[in-house]
Amino acid sequence: MTQPDTQDPILAEITGPTPGQMLRKRVVGHQGLMIGVVVLVILTLIAIFAPLLAPHDPYAQSLMTRMEPPVFLGGDWEHPLGTDHLGRDYLSRLIYGARVSLMIGVIAALISGVIGTAMGVAAGYFGGRVDMVVTFLINVRLAMPVVLVALAVVAILGGSLQVVIVVLGLLLWDRFAVVMRASTLQVRGREYVAAARAIGASTPRVILSEIMPNIANNLIVVVTLEMAHAILLEAALSFLGLGVQPPTPSWGLMVSEGKNMMLFEPWMVLIPGAVLFILVLAINLMGDGLRDVTAPENRS
Amino acid sequence: MKQSSLRHAIAGLAIVAASGAAYADKANDTLRVAFTKELENVDSYFNSSREGVVLQRAIWDGLIYRDPATNEYKGNLATSWEWIDDLTLEFKLREGVTFHNGEPFNADDVVYTVNFVAKEENGVKTQRNVNWMKSAEKIDEYTVRIHLKDKFPAAIEFLSGPVSMYPNEYYAEAGPSGMGLEPVGTGPYKVVSVTPGQHFVLERNETYHDSPKGQPEITNVDIRTIPDVNTQMAELFSGSLDLIWQVPADQAEKLAEMDQFTVTNESTMRVGYLSMDAAGRSGDTPFTNLKVRQAVNHAINREELVAALLKGKSKVVWTPCFPSQFGCVEEAAETYEYDPEKAKALLAEAGYPDGFTTELYAYRDREYAEAILSYLNAVGIKSDFKFLQYSALRELNMTGDVPLAFLTWGSFSVNDASAMVSQFFKHGSLDDARDDQVLADLEVADSATDPDTRVEHYTKAIKRITEQAYWAPMFSYNTNYVSTNEVEYTPTADEVLRFTTMEWK
Repeated sequence: MTQPDTQDPILAEITGPTPGQMLRKRVVGHQGLMIGVVVLVILTLIAIFAPLLAPHDPYAQSLMTRMEPPVFLGGDWEHPLGTDHLGRDYLSRLIYGARVSLMIGVIAALISGVIGTAMGVAAGYFGGRVDMVVTFLINVRLAMPVVLVALAVVAILGGSLQVVIVVLGLLLWDRFAVVMRASTLQVRGREYVAAARAIGASTPRVILSEIMPNIANNLIVVVTLEMAHAILLEAALSFLGLGVQPPTPSWGLMVSEGKNMMLFEPWMVLIPGAVLFILVLAINLMGDGLRDVTAPENRS
Repeated sequence: MKQSSLRHAIAGLAIVAASGAAYADKANDTLRVAFTKELENVDSYFNSSREGVVLQRAIWDGLIYRDPATNEYKGNLATSWEWIDDLTLEFKLREGVTFHNGEPFNADDVVYTVNFVAKEENGVKTQRNVNWMKSAEKIDEYTVRIHLKDKFPAAIEFLSGPVSMYPNEYYAEAGPSGMGLEPVGTGPYKVVSVTPGQHFVLERNETYHDSPKGQPEITNVDIRTIPDVNTQMAELFSGSLDLIWQVPADQAEKLAEMDQFTVTNESTMRVGYLSMDAAGRSGDTPFTNLKVRQAVNHAINREELVAALLKGKSKVVWTPCFPSQFGCVEEAAETYEYDPEKAKALLAEAGYPDGFTTELYAYRDREYAEAILSYLNAVGIKSDFKFLQYSALRELNMTGDVPLAFLTWGSFSVNDASAMVSQFFKHGSLDDARDDQVLADLEVADSATDPDTRVEHYTKAIKRITEQAYWAPMFSYNTNYVSTNEVEYTPTADEVLRFTTMEWK
């Protein structure tokens, strides 16, 4: 037998692109996803390499050069985005602030993801009493307004980066649990799950290698949503003075600190606000895009 | 038909709303003012905030009045007074004065007020203002004597400031909470309504006696609590406020550039300082070590704070009192030049070569607090920053749970060092130093009648306090008053907003 001629149009049509190639094509062709990923990668790199990128020490106070305007409003290149109310370099604080935002987003989503997924999958797979208990817990959690509970807990324990991360991590698992439970319910009746059981696979094995891979696309979407949610909540808490404490640079805190001069120096609020907007938008675009490309059959 | 009546109703509502918005301005003779902080109780003996002082001076009168321009004491509810001996003051009271509720003012009111506030268990908030009085005694309908516990030369100053006279019958019945909700005094303005902490409406007292405060010009004063200065400015722009005060320097600078507003800067008696728990009341804190306290003093660049943040008529202050106060001898105070290296060296000597972490409390001027925190961070004192409401921080302070706090004190505008240094260093609940030597000197200084003896002992106390670096006194405050050009007002240097001297242009 001769090797199949890849140039042959008929043969090419029969073999077609592999699933991996198709996925790659969908990913690259999806504009929103690409924009989201690129922006997120850039911001992540900025956060990781903050000490190399920041032109100044973000904590260095210089009261004599307070509130210098950014370059595009007539400032100089010494401080491209101006200085804040204590004369600290705005760009450097923004760069370091990316670390705080991303760290809170990632870790909080991770904590809540582990809790929520474990509960959701257990409820969906085992059903019965387990399902009842989990559903009850989800309802209890949904009955509590996140922002108010976070405010109360932070007010009692005192605001700090660690407290905010843990509080948000422990509060944002509800959507994970709801989505994972529903997805597990859908796939647990499928033939491949029954087949795995029939050949004697253990329960953990069925869950990990049969169920999880098939609900991962939903998980990814929820992870991105909750990441964005956590980042916004941190900004809100810091804005209210209950989140990350000064002098730690946080975008929410920067908005709060700039607020006093909002009427006269609106850029002090607009710059951190815009960056926060871009980050959250990028994460959401990525989440939407991932859903589109990983589960196209659900859309059509 | 139905449609058109609905339309009429909407139009009517719109007119009412429009007139409501326009109501209150020069045309309606109503001055609209904003307070930044929530006032806990209008009863002036049961709050310790500046807003309270402002209302106190408008609603009530004292026996004596100090002219803020000349510092001369004039009779207000009393027409004359004399020292019978070192512990007894006799007053002739003004006749024909009535309280806002019609109750006539006489010796019974003075006796009741003094006896009530002087009793410690009645819980007057700032004991310093009243605890020098023992009792009052009625001689006849318009003559009264106040007996002092001990010699207290600042008596006249306190009687012209925080000690105001309440109607005996009404106060006996209403008590501090009733008085806070429906205040009754003899002052130039009477209270129309109080929404606690939120809204205070005053109306000119048409039958105000011939007081050295002068006769009120503006008919209505409408005060609302608006915590956010941006909201205050927005309302000033939109014309729903006529006067705001305590405007931060940055905003005041910008407002001064605008033609429709008048910005006046005046110094105040308020001193900003860091208080350190030298007595170790909050547990094992580094501040019990003198070197640490000196390091804190050296870490702060006071000149820069004043030049860049406070601006206006603020000055660097080294004394635990305001320099214009009697007995507040500036030369007595130890000064600590800004020297972060020395601060680090002192910390290392004290056994903290890598610094330490402490809680830093503050209740106002977050920006100043952050700048101070930055200075401390720079020498290795890391802080866990806590920003609280004033009353909450004061409670914590009283129980001795505060290792380091950025605090301020305005001395109730009393121009005598005892109003500040004796308030905080005589082993009261707010005293974090608890120094016996300071206490002994202050006991003498507060009660001596000879001015030279007073100065001598205040000097000693101030020297000891600053050498021991119990505090880091930093700066005096200034206040920016911003009003529309329709309001004519010359602020005084004592941070008291006087509605009586305001008029429309």
